[in-house]
Amino acid sequence: MANKVAIIASNGGLFDAYKVFNIATAAAASDKEVAIFFTFEGLNLIHKQGMHDLPMPAGKEHFAEGFTKAQVPSIPQLVEMAQELGVTFIACQMTMDVMGLTKEDFVSGIEVGGAVTFLEYAKDASPTLTF
Amino acid sequence: MNITKTVDAKGFACPMPIVKTKKAIDTIQSGEVLEVLVTDKGALNDFAAWAKTGGHTILEQKEEADVLTFYIQKA
Repeated sequence: MANKVAIIASNGGLFDAYKVFNIATAAAASDKEVAIFFTFEGLNLIHKQGMHDLPMPAGKEHFAEGFTKAQVPSIPQLVEMAQELGVTFIACQMTMDVMGLTKEDFVSGIEVGGAVTFLEYAKDASPTLTF
Repeated sequence: MNITKTVDAKGFACPMPIVKTKKAIDTIQSGEVLEVLVTDKGALNDFAAWAKTGGHTILEQKEEADVLTFYIQKA
């Protein structure tokens, strides 16, 4: 059985962040090796400032109350938890160049790489997930 | 049953109960028993799957007043 999970995070909303980090932390807590490739809007999820204020989808703002009521952890908490559990964060170099971002704009401990870096990791991962 | 450690994850939503349990089980020895208290309804299936993945044994589980309690023996 493959013991690697590969995740592509390509969207930058709050719901996207929960989808990515819930699966990632759950997998890491189940003794899986986990890497997330953050590309395009997905880079928001590990952006030092951006991750604190991720947007809800338009018209879905009323779910904010539900998140509080269900005591769902915040995204920065999940990011920290994921890193504690050994999840590897790979930021897409090309997108960073396009958006004028540097490694310092992101949470510490990330790797920067290209598509091939991710593909090499993901070649024997199961499952590979895209959000 | 000899309980080595207890995890109180009541009130926490997915994935925190599993994350807290994972951290706790790393601190006990093989064969020792972890007691876990949760209120997340998803835990019923999640803990069965998590234990299977790690090779751990759920010795007993009960539900009292919305609190699920699992007794997990470390593999």
